Amino acid sequence: MNQWLTLLNKEILEMTRNFKWIWVPIVFILIAVMEPITAYYMPQIIDSLGNLPDGAVIELPMPSAEEVLVASLSQYNTLGLLVIILSSMGIIAGERKTGVAGLILVKPVSYTAFVTAKWAGDMLLLWISYFIGYFVSWYYVGILFDTIPFIDFIQSFFIYGLWLSFVLTITVFFNSFLKSPGAAGFLSFAAVIILIVISGTFSKWVEWSPAQLLSYASTFIMSGSNSSDVWSAIILSVFGIIMLLGGSIVIFRRRELA
Amino acid sequence: MSVVHVKNLKKDYQKHEVIKGLDFELMDKKCIALLGANGAGKTTTLQMLSGLIRPTSGEITFSGSRNGDDFRHLIGFLPQHPVFYDWMTGREFLEYAGKLSGLSKKDSKIRAQELLKLVGIEEAKNRRIGKYSGGMKQRLGIAQAIIHRPKLVILDEPVSALDPFGRREVLELMGSLKKETAILFSTHILNDAEEVCDEILFLHNGRLVESGTMEQLRDKHQQAKIDLEFKEDAAQYAGLFTDVVKVQSQTIKSNKISFFVEDIELAKIGLLKVIAERNLPLVKFEISRTSLEEVFMRVVEK
Amino acid sequence: MELSQVNWEFIIPIVAPIILIQLILLAIAIIDLVRIEKVNGPKWVWIIVILFVNIVGPILYFVIGRRNN
Repeated sequence: MNQWLTLLNKEILEMTRNFKWIWVPIVFILIAVMEPITAYYMPQIIDSLGNLPDGAVIELPMPSAEEVLVASLSQYNTLGLLVIILSSMGIIAGERKTGVAGLILVKPVSYTAFVTAKWAGDMLLLWISYFIGYFVSWYYVGILFDTIPFIDFIQSFFIYGLWLSFVLTITVFFNSFLKSPGAAGFLSFAAVIILIVISGTFSKWVEWSPAQLLSYASTFIMSGSNSSDVWSAIILSVFGIIMLLGGSIVIFRRRELA
Repeated sequence: MSVVHVKNLKKDYQKHEVIKGLDFELMDKKCIALLGANGAGKTTTLQMLSGLIRPTSGEITFSGSRNGDDFRHLIGFLPQHPVFYDWMTGREFLEYAGKLSGLSKKDSKIRAQELLKLVGIEEAKNRRIGKYSGGMKQRLGIAQAIIHRPKLVILDEPVSALDPFGRREVLELMGSLKKETAILFSTHILNDAEEVCDEILFLHNGRLVESGTMEQLRDKHQQAKIDLEFKEDAAQYAGLFTDVVKVQSQTIKSNKISFFVEDIELAKIGLLKVIAERNLPLVKFEISRTSLEEVFMRVVEK
Repeated sequence: MELSQVNWEFIIPIVAPIILIQLILLAIAIIDLVRIEKVNGPKWVWIIVILFVNIVGPILYFVIGRRNN
């Protein structure tokens, strides 16, 4: 445990020194907050483009507060995932590539601790950034549109956060056996896209897919209630995260580090 | 006392045998050089001993543990090109290494301070490692390898990349280290090995072709050579010595005679006796040995 | 709609914080770029990317430019 905390501390310190604690939260804020702001100003923006021919009428129904918050989450499902994968694609591969992992792992360091501490460090960054970003978006929706009950916000926050965690864990998994951060990032991205596409196309049959968490979080915001399927998706996600992390440890342990 | 016992160690890469069966034993508080040309398998051997790569077959047994046990707490390792976290300071890295090796926070601090002083980078301890020179990184590398007082310190080419000053300092550092622990280091430069080592393991094409203490190797392979130089042409005296010395071969070159002998002590006494009795016009009497360098060239050619 | 008709009093408190954090992002990218020893590729290219590619520029710098090998 002591060693694990030492490893985690190092991750946190590193993220301080390379400014991840600043830029990742800022990016998460910007991604989410653009949605309520542009939705709100859209009529004015179109107006100011001006010079529409007479008689051209643009009807832009003002979206509801719920729709805007859901749109914020959807932004996370594209740009947010990209940022998560890009910022964590070198989590282990980077250290193996430079060789510093070899220097650390000839010390009596547990492989399990090494992998899980890195994962925990990035999870911490992810959840804090995601909370700040999503919270700011919720706040803006409240100012510009209508207040959404905090309880709805927080529940959708946790449901969708699980999917983000799942994606992060996929990246960690590819890091356990690839030596190139680029390759790990690329494969993570491919895996996530496949998962999203399959879950979207066959949504009737794969209601338990972690990629469905976005739609569950969305229905939750829209209707304030959830279908019973959300639990199967949540349980499967947690299970998937544990399996991926366990698999990463097993694979990483077998790798030769030199 | 034995620190580690290596038995029939082998390593294949894609069916290609790189290490073809090594047997040796390392003793406590001894410095052992793993000598060999580039590509002889030195780094592979050291990486197996440090646990970074797994042997294809064979045993590595540290005293007090069984083959296959995790022995990482017993060793300290410095790779050939050590890489650190550039964003850490030297002190931070040492404390981190100490804590990972199982020292308490307090002990890591004390030990880090001690080692920064020992390896001579104390004034740079709060600088980012990214700004360190190659020599400073090498010293930091040695410090991190010994922070937990391992039983065996493994250094891969610790002086190859250093300038003459750095080389001297690191060799001296190793000399003082062996009072506490066994050292195994690789090098392709014989001089470095001779300087601090008690024993040499000579690796060639993945095999141990020769091993032993410096003395043993010298005695085994070296030929002693005695040069005599006279005022006049030496050929006329050559015959006088044939009875007293067991000469393997001799060469005569104008005023000089060189004898290659087996037993240098006997030869010395015999020769001097003849010279003194006959009062020969001797100018120079020189005993030399063929260098170890030559010895190893011969071993490799075998 | 003329610019004068835009309700600035309402827009500024909403948009200003967003612009501010964008500037922070840009500023730390520049500060880091100046202090760091080596980046992937020439530094001046990254200065241009950070300054002129809104939001994405600094992010690209942090994930690609900053890899220290």
